[in-house]
Amino acid sequence: MNQLRKHVDELFKEIPDSGKKATIMQEVMQNLEEKVLDLMEQGKAEDDAINKTIVEFGDIEDLKKELDVKLPAKNNLRKLNLGYSIWGSFLIISLFIFINLYYTPNVIWFVYPTFAVLWWPLTMYFSWKKAKKG
Amino acid sequence: MVIITLLGRVVYVQGSVYLIRSDIIRGHLDSIILCLVLEKDRYGYEISKEISLRTDNKFQIKEATLYAVFQRLEKKDLIESYYGSVSKGGKRKYYRITTLGKAYLKETAEEWKVTKEIIDLFMEGLN
Repeated sequence: MNQLRKHVDELFKEIPDSGKKATIMQEVMQNLEEKVLDLMEQGKAEDDAINKTIVEFGDIEDLKKELDVKLPAKNNLRKLNLGYSIWGSFLIISLFIFINLYYTPNVIWFVYPTFAVLWWPLTMYFSWKKAKKG
Repeated sequence: MVIITLLGRVVYVQGSVYLIRSDIIRGHLDSIILCLVLEKDRYGYEISKEISLRTDNKFQIKEATLYAVFQRLEKKDLIESYYGSVSKGGKRKYYRITTLGKAYLKETAEEWKVTKEIIDLFMEGLN
């Protein structure tokens, strides 16, 4: 039965601990143990019975959904990326403007690299927006 | 042996018995379990065994799915649970249907009747 307990523990590993989780685990354990005993009564060896029980249990994706397992918030990270890209591009563009005006004040060329750099925050902005929507 | 049909449905072939884990049944699991609990108070393993028995093993519910359904039904106050006496393996958790559950079941039964009539209009006589 130890093998069964281990398997159930493994299945519930990702679900955050709560009173509800403990109750369900206890219920699942009780029912699975009963199934194993039932199968053994029908003439199966203990190992066979345990294996069959584990295979027939299935995966617990549905159960996770019912227990409201929240997916880790990725949105915050995206927001951070957006902020970083805005600051980063601002600094790079400032550098171009400075070099342009300081060394070649007669030729305005900083606009070209500015356009290239702006793709960075633009991409991050839409990535953030997409995450917010989804 | 596992055969995946054209529709992407997984059909398990065991001897000559086809085990169909179809999405169609999935949508009616709540009703199936409510029906079983309506007959008498039952516990988890008893329900999964009863389903296999009555369908002659054509449909077997995965235990993990079963507990998800229990959670859902209990949250909606359609069933309630209590602990029974200690038996082999420990304390069994029994489920009983609530008044709300009975009303819900009656409604879904009516709904199923209509659904069946509609599908039959198209599917009957095809085989």
